Amino acid sequence: MIPSFAVIGIQTPEWHMPNLWIPLFLLWIPVILLSPLIFLVLVAIAIAGRTNIWRLIAIFWNILASLRGTDVRVTAEGNHVLVCIL
Amino acid sequence: MNEDRRQILEMLAAGKITAGEAERLIAALESAPATNVGEHSGSVAGITVKTRAKYLRVLVEADEAMTGMKGPTTVNVRVPMQLLRAGVRLASLIPSQAHEKLDEALSRHGVPLTLSQIKPENLEELIDHLEDLTVDVDTNDEGKTKVRVFCE
Repeated sequence: MIPSFAVIGIQTPEWHMPNLWIPLFLLWIPVILLSPLIFLVLVAIAIAGRTNIWRLIAIFWNILASLRGTDVRVTAEGNHVLVCIL
Repeated sequence: MNEDRRQILEMLAAGKITAGEAERLIAALESAPATNVGEHSGSVAGITVKTRAKYLRVLVEADEAMTGMKGPTTVNVRVPMQLLRAGVRLASLIPSQAHEKLDEALSRHGVPLTLSQIKPENLEELIDHLEDLTVDVDTNDEGKTKVRVFCE
């Protein structure tokens, strides 16, 4: 299942940004519109890398689908960074 | 509710085991209270229920003396195991002509690794065995640092 939301939060001692919810599902609209161009780019990469285009697509799709559940929280010098993919 | 029963229900809720497997484990607990239900596995009447870890966790806690930064530093990372598998497959796209250069660069930096010798199936096996990995580092030399790497 591909991720639907990304949550990004940044806090510094002086500045506090509320958690930003990015609706990733809305990215499908430009992706579908640009799909012929994306396909051409992938074909070029596949030719340059001497690999199978379908294998390349499968790997990228796998990476995209497995991003869900990634959670990174870092705190240093009073700064907090949160990146969460839902 | 005892600890083992709660653990089984949590595994069921997390989708690590099926309802039938949970039922068998609970039945085994009732009949033999000493049955060991591990974090990721259980055994009922000779049937081993092996559940797969879903995430790789890396937790780091370090204080000022260790990092030289103001205040404590913490890192809490959760990476889906599936993403590791997909990333490993991505490495298989590296063209063979680039392997030599990579091997050379790696050995120059003290990593004597031959990339062409690494096969995708070996990497899959490596990821599978990561599930059993637990690293706990606790230092108190100059500053206090805790590092934990485990799968859940």
